[in-house]
Amino acid sequence: MDSLILELKEEIIKSLNLEEMTPEDIDSDAPLFGEGLGLDSIDALELIVLMERNYGIKLANASEGKSIFQSVRVMAEYISKNRTK
Amino acid sequence: MRIFIRSAAQISIQNPLCDEWFENPISYSQIHNRSIDPDFKAFIPVMEARRMGRVMKRAIVTSKSVIPEENRATLDAILTGTGLGSVEDTEKFLNALLKNDEEMLPPSNFMNSTHNTIGSIIALNFKCHGYNLTSAHRGTSFDTICFDAYLQFLKGAKNILVGGHDEMTADYFALFDQIGFWKKESFTADILKESSTKGTFAGETAVSFWLSAEDGGDSLCSILGVDLLYKPSQQRLQESLDTMLAQNGLSKNDIDAIVLNCNGDVENDTISREVAEAILPNVQQLYYKHLFGDSFTMSAMGLYISAVCLHRGEIPAHLIYKNGAGNKRPRTLLLHNHYQNKDHSFMLLSV
Amino acid sequence: MAKRVVITGVGIVSAIGVGKEAHLRALMKGESGVGKISYLQTKHTDIPVGEVKMSDEEMKLLLGIASESVITRTPLMGKIALKEAMQDSGITDASRVAFINGTTVGGMEKSEKYYMDFFEGKNTDYIAAHDCGAGTEMIAETFGKFDFVTTLSTACSSAVNSIIMGGDLIRSGRVEAAIVGGAESLSKFHLNGFNTLMILDRKVCNPFDAQRNGLNLGEGAAYIVLESEESAKARNANILCELKGYGNACDAFHQTASSPTGEGAYLAMKKALEDAGLNPEQIDYVNAHGTGTGNNDLCESVSIQRLFGEKIPHFSSTKSLTGHATSAAGGIEAVISILALLNDFVPGCCQFQSPIEETGLMPVKDCLKNVDLQNVMNNSFGFGGNDSSCIFSKIR
Repeated sequence: MDSLILELKEEIIKSLNLEEMTPEDIDSDAPLFGEGLGLDSIDALELIVLMERNYGIKLANASEGKSIFQSVRVMAEYISKNRTK
Repeated sequence: MRIFIRSAAQISIQNPLCDEWFENPISYSQIHNRSIDPDFKAFIPVMEARRMGRVMKRAIVTSKSVIPEENRATLDAILTGTGLGSVEDTEKFLNALLKNDEEMLPPSNFMNSTHNTIGSIIALNFKCHGYNLTSAHRGTSFDTICFDAYLQFLKGAKNILVGGHDEMTADYFALFDQIGFWKKESFTADILKESSTKGTFAGETAVSFWLSAEDGGDSLCSILGVDLLYKPSQQRLQESLDTMLAQNGLSKNDIDAIVLNCNGDVENDTISREVAEAILPNVQQLYYKHLFGDSFTMSAMGLYISAVCLHRGEIPAHLIYKNGAGNKRPRTLLLHNHYQNKDHSFMLLSV
Repeated sequence: MAKRVVITGVGIVSAIGVGKEAHLRALMKGESGVGKISYLQTKHTDIPVGEVKMSDEEMKLLLGIASESVITRTPLMGKIALKEAMQDSGITDASRVAFINGTTVGGMEKSEKYYMDFFEGKNTDYIAAHDCGAGTEMIAETFGKFDFVTTLSTACSSAVNSIIMGGDLIRSGRVEAAIVGGAESLSKFHLNGFNTLMILDRKVCNPFDAQRNGLNLGEGAAYIVLESEESAKARNANILCELKGYGNACDAFHQTASSPTGEGAYLAMKKALEDAGLNPEQIDYVNAHGTGTGNNDLCESVSIQRLFGEKIPHFSSTKSLTGHATSAAGGIEAVISILALLNDFVPGCCQFQSPIEETGLMPVKDCLKNVDLQNVMNNSFGFGGNDSSCIFSKIR
């Protein structure tokens, strides 16, 4: 799980263009949206693309993302359970 | 009506956010050139900038540079001219579309690909709910926006931000090369005037102006008139200029120079010279694209250099395209722009 | 500055037909043009769209354009609509007339097809046909000569902004007439773009419904002929109605989402009312932007409530019939609003079942006939919060 979390953080930084951020700057349990990392609805869409591209997970609509993108840890857990690649 | 240019800022292939081009212009001999960018981080927080392409960052920087903080939210209008918007985003999305066969595409790039992203991101940054418009009409995108600014001032607007923004990516450069936009042979911008071949050289545009109904005592110059004309005859051009001069109680003798869009493309320049000779024979002619290259909105740079010349009361020798009559300490300038001899525009400026 | 701006002609092409007669029929019957993709080449055939039911070839034939000529789909539709509008107005000499076109996608529908070819020097004629202004000029060529031509691009509100600029142009006295509106063809580019935003309904869209599930893209072109009242009277033109007022404001909230208070939409409508010199209760029908997305319809409903208070006028979105024709939408819906005004009917949302919980607003579901309409409002909102609204009024 820890390696997946690290990998995810690196991917998030890359795909959301979070220049100047390192994986250490992202708290695995902090909320990704709103107060935590401060991401928004467009970032959520980018994360949906990231999940499909890297792990073969396809979400049917954007609202499903809400529960999955609570934190990097929750996201990692969901991915490890549902990944197809 | 008199519209005051309170402030102007540029990012181009000359040194950005300053007027070093006036005394010590950089001379180019490459055909494809990209702007010299300032340090964006000094102007835009990293989290805010993460989805912005270069054209947007430049627009934010030049806009912030010209509009004082206290005037941003209350601007009556934010007006943007751009021929192509964020080409970088459009290309990323298009390449992904073709490469991934319509799957797993980047939403941010799509969102940024619409031309109005530039103007709306400025509004978002300024928290400005005022009138917001973008024009995307080839070589007169910026001129359209200046014309609209004129209409807005007629209706009582007090403060308006106008900007011209375009970028030239490697792929776009290559595509435009296919249709003869660029010089094929080696050249240097210094001798652009003597060119007898097709094509020009590429630059990028990011120029913003604060236009105001009030002088404020610190204005660079003022705009007295703007007109756009489609496929005009010489007679129609003449009529437009006469109307503009009459509205301001001026005559042709008051014009100290005509600023042309000459870019080294023989077809383009022939038209510009013909127009100048027809409407203002013997008046000195200025040019600017030898310093800045060309783009769809480079006419914004024409307005910029004109404003600086009027403000300083001086025309540097390197801007002179052809010597002629006209005060060397200019008080009134006429800008003429055209795109492929279809879209023409005039702007009348004075101190 | 107080010149009265009237409308002396309209022209329209959309998924529900070609020409105003076809639109009048389809609107009255509530016939939708949204269905399975058949002209656009894409793998997403499960996404319903509102296509103009003609191939490029058929449009070229209709317009008498040689089949080999280099022209993209947007200007083809634009030419058809412009021709109708000009004929309708009776203007034969365009040499002192302005043409202001709203478009965003430009020639993308060909560029995405030939993009790789371009780099190899093939089909390069379409490179210069790509930008927005190129399409506008191809449309303008239909009538040889306009005095003033330009292109506005504010995504989905482009066409209403061209109406606004046309109104200002006439009020300023620069021209006596201006042909304004927009044109946009579907492209794989923006179909996929909206798909990545996950706001495309897999069924016919259902604006202002609690169960709404996104929008359907459409395509088309529509123009209206604006003219100073003096000019229209001097040439004995048939005056259809008046462009009473308009407003443009920016939501300045988010790049794609609307603010929960519907600030931009509210300000645009409010400015339009002020410009028209009307009170909210004088508006008899609002042709809403109503895309069918969760976000737009909620925010627009909130803004309508803020503006109109207890007395909500008839309102509906016609996008379940035409699809959302993006930059052309404001033009198409302006023509629809004018047709409604002149024929005293209110087109319906058609799919509607239950109101949005937060506002409880009830749009018109089925076409209402014999409604006395005096003033109608047409809303168009774009990405980036570029919100615009205009008002058409009967001349009494």
